[in-house]
Amino acid sequence: MNSEKFQKTGFLTRFSFKRDWLRLSIWAVVLIGFFVGVAAKFTGLYGSKAAVDQIIKTLKTPAMVSLFGKMPAGPYTTADVFASKMTVFMAIIAAVMNFYFIIHNTRGEKESGILEMIQAHSVGRLANLAAALLEVFILNFGIGLIYAIGLQFANLTGTDTNGNFLLGLGLGAVGFMFATIAAVIAQLTDNSRSATIFSYLIFGIMYIARMVTDVTHPKYTWFVPMGWVEKFSTYKQNNWLPIWLMLGLSLIMVLLTFYLNSRRDIGSGMIATRPGKARASALLRGPISLFWRLNRVSIIVWFFGIMILGATYGSVFNTIGDILKTNPMFKQLLNTSAINAANLLIIKQFIAILLIVFAALALVPGINLINYLKTGENKGYLEIIHATPTSRLKLFCSVILLATITSVAVLFAGIYGLYAGGNAVMTHHLAWSIFLRGFLGYLAPLLIFLGISACLVGWLPKLTALNYGYLVVGFFVQYFGKLLKLPDWTKKITPFGFINQVPVKNFDVATFWFQIGIAVVLIIIGYIGYRRRDLIIN
Amino acid sequence: MLNQNTPILHIDHLQKNFGKFHALKNITFDIYPGEVFGFIGPNGAGKSTTIRTILGILRATGGRATIFGKDVFKDAVEIHKRIAYVPGDVYLWPNLTGGEIIDLFLKLGHSRHTEKTDQLIKLFQLDPTKKARTYSKGNRQKVALIAAFSTNADFYIFDEPTSGLDPLNEEVFQKEVLKLKQAGKAVLLSSHILSEVEKMCDNIGIIRNGEIVETGSLAQMRHLTRTTIKVQTRDQTPELSAMTGVHNVSFDNNNQILTMSVDSEHLESIMSYLTQKQIVSLQATLPTLEDLFLRYYDSSNGGTNNEQ
Repeated sequence: MNSEKFQKTGFLTRFSFKRDWLRLSIWAVVLIGFFVGVAAKFTGLYGSKAAVDQIIKTLKTPAMVSLFGKMPAGPYTTADVFASKMTVFMAIIAAVMNFYFIIHNTRGEKESGILEMIQAHSVGRLANLAAALLEVFILNFGIGLIYAIGLQFANLTGTDTNGNFLLGLGLGAVGFMFATIAAVIAQLTDNSRSATIFSYLIFGIMYIARMVTDVTHPKYTWFVPMGWVEKFSTYKQNNWLPIWLMLGLSLIMVLLTFYLNSRRDIGSGMIATRPGKARASALLRGPISLFWRLNRVSIIVWFFGIMILGATYGSVFNTIGDILKTNPMFKQLLNTSAINAANLLIIKQFIAILLIVFAALALVPGINLINYLKTGENKGYLEIIHATPTSRLKLFCSVILLATITSVAVLFAGIYGLYAGGNAVMTHHLAWSIFLRGFLGYLAPLLIFLGISACLVGWLPKLTALNYGYLVVGFFVQYFGKLLKLPDWTKKITPFGFINQVPVKNFDVATFWFQIGIAVVLIIIGYIGYRRRDLIIN
Repeated sequence: MLNQNTPILHIDHLQKNFGKFHALKNITFDIYPGEVFGFIGPNGAGKSTTIRTILGILRATGGRATIFGKDVFKDAVEIHKRIAYVPGDVYLWPNLTGGEIIDLFLKLGHSRHTEKTDQLIKLFQLDPTKKARTYSKGNRQKVALIAAFSTNADFYIFDEPTSGLDPLNEEVFQKEVLKLKQAGKAVLLSSHILSEVEKMCDNIGIIRNGEIVETGSLAQMRHLTRTTIKVQTRDQTPELSAMTGVHNVSFDNNNQILTMSVDSEHLESIMSYLTQKQIVSLQATLPTLEDLFLRYYDSSNGGTNNEQ
C-alpha cells in the first residue's frame, strides 16, 4: 500500500475528534464511570470470604453462566467475582459503542454527501476510512487504558497489575475488533441502516454461540470471537493470547475493509440496490403503511432476532432448572415434588431476569419509531407530507400505534421463543400461563416508556435521546441491582420496578391499569405539545 | 369556481421568531386566482420560512395568514386538501422508488395516479423504478413536481423548484405552470432564477431580512427604478448632470455618446430637455428584474441608497 492513498489521514483523524468530541466523551465517561464505579463498590459488597463464596455459587449456576459467561476454576477472590461479572457485559456495551461510531463515520457520511466534499480535496482515497478506524482505535485503547488504571486504584482483593491491564486493554481490544467487523460490513452494504442491521445480526449470532458453548462445552467458546474475552481468565492464568487473537482478526478485517473500499465507488456498496416498482402497491396508502414500509425489514429482524434469542435461552432451561446438578445434596434432603418445585422456582427467577432483557430490547425499535417524528423531520423526509391533508394527529397516532405494536410484538416474540425453546428440552412441561404472566406484567412499563418518548417528541424534540438513557438506567438497576446490592429505592425510579417480579410472583392487575393510565396521559400530553409546536427544528 | 376578487392567499403582517431571532418581521401580500406570484429574495431572507408558515408547518408568532379564507395553522388539514407543494430541498425515502413516492403523495392528497401522471413522468423523463437513494437533486425535484402537477389543487406552492433541473425540464415546468394559470389556479413561485420569474410571474414580492420590501407587477416596479439612456445630441448638454433624476453621467471614448440613468418619474422632463438639444440617436434600456433585485439586495449599502 502506498502512502499517497493515506494522505491527510492524520488531519482527518484530528478533525473527526473535533467533530465527535461530545459524543466520544459521553460514551467514554459513561463506560469508564460504570466500570470503575462498580469496581470501587466491590470491596464493600464482596469483601469477605463468605460473601464471595455465596455469590460464586450463584455465578456458577448455568443460568448465570449463560448471562455472564463461564467462571475459571477456583479458589475465588473479590477480583474474580468482578472480572467474571463484568467481562461479557462490558464487551456487549463496547460492541454497541463501536458499531455506532464506525458506521456513522464510514457509512453515514457517504449518505450526507460530506465524504464527497472531503474526497474532492487532496486527501488519499483511503484516508477517510483510515481516519475513522484510527479514531475508534484511539477511543478503545484510551478507554481500555483508563479501565486498567481504574482497577489499579480500586485495588480489589485478589487483583494483580498484569490482570488489571489484561482486562482493561482486552475490553478495548474487543471493542476495536467489533469496530473493524462493522467497518467491513459498512463497505459491503450501501446504506447505514443495512450496515447496522447486519452488524447486529453478526453480533447476535456470536452472542448466542458463546452462550450455548459456555453452558454446554466451554472449550468451543474459543471458536467464537466474542467468547475470547472470557478466555482471559483474568486474575487466574492471565492469558494474553485472546488479545493477540482479537488484534489479529482486527488486522485482517482492516485489510479487508481497505481492499473492499479501494475496489468500489463512493456511495455504492457490494450488495447493490435493485430497481423496484414503478407504482405503489395498494397497501402503501397512508402514514402507517409508509412507516411500516420504511421499517419493515428492521422490525422483522428484531422480531425474529429476539425470538431466536429467547429460544436459545429456553434451550438451556434443562441445565438451569436442574438443581441437583449444582447441588447433588438436595437429593437426600428433598423429595421429588419438592425438587421439581425448587427447579421451577429457579427457572421462573431466570425468566424474570430475561424478561428485563427482552423488554429493554423490545423498546429500542419502538422508541426509534416515535423519534422518527423528529429524525425524519430533521432530514426533511416529512415536509411534503405536512403539506398534504394529513393531520398532525394522524401522523402522531400512526407512529405511536406502530411503535406500540412493534415493541409489544418483539416482547412477545422473545417470550414465545423462550416458551418454545424451553419446552423443547424440558421433561416437565412449563405452563404457558407462567410466560403470559411475564408478558402481561411488562406491557404497561413498555407503554410508559413509549409515552415518555411521545412526550419528548412533542415538547422537547431536541432531547429525545434522553429516554434511551432512562431505559439504560432501568435495565441496569433491574439486571445488576441484586448483584450490586443496590438500595431498594433505586428500583422505583423506572416503571420496571413496580411490576411485582413477574413471573416469580403474580401479575398485579391494579398496577397494570394504573401504569396504563400513566402511559395514556403521557401520550396525550405529548400530542398536545406536538400539535402546537413548529415541526421543523433547527 | 374561485372568485377572482377574493384572494386565495392573504398574508397580513406575518411575524415569526425563532427564540430571539426575528426570521419574519413583517410579511404582507395577497395572491389572487389566476395569478402567478414570484417570491424573490437573497438566501436567508425568509422565503422558505414564509412558505412553511403558510403551510402550517411553523406556527406564526404574530400577524395573520389565511388560505381560502381559513387560518393556515388551525385549519391546515382543510386547506391542504386544495393545495400542492414542492419544497426547496426534496428529500425522499431512500428505499422507496420514485414511482411509489409519487403515488404515495397523491394518495395522501386524496388524488389518484392518472394518465396525466404518466404523461408528466414521460415529459420530465423520470425513471420511476429507481430507488430514491440513486436519484440526483434534479430527479428528486421531479418526483415532487410530478406529484404536485398531477394533483388537482387550487393553489400551488413551489419553493425554488427548478434549482436542480436541466433547461429542458425547466421548460416543461414553465409550460405546466402556464397551464395552471390558464386554468385560473393561483401559484406562489419562490425562485432565484430571475429570468424565470420575469417570464412567468404577474406579480412579484421582494423579501429582505424578513420583510417584504416591494410588491407589485414588474411594470409597476420598473416605474420605481431607473431607465438607462444612451443618447447622442447635436448640441452640448452641460446642464444635464445637475438636473434632478439624473445619475451616473458618463461619456464614451469619443465624447460622443452619453450614458446615464434616469429616475422613471423624471423621464418626461429629461426627454423634453434632450429634444431641445437635437437628438441624433437614442437608446433606452428598461431595467431588468436583475437590476431591481440588485438594488434591493445590496444590503451593504443599507438597501435604501437609491431612494435618496
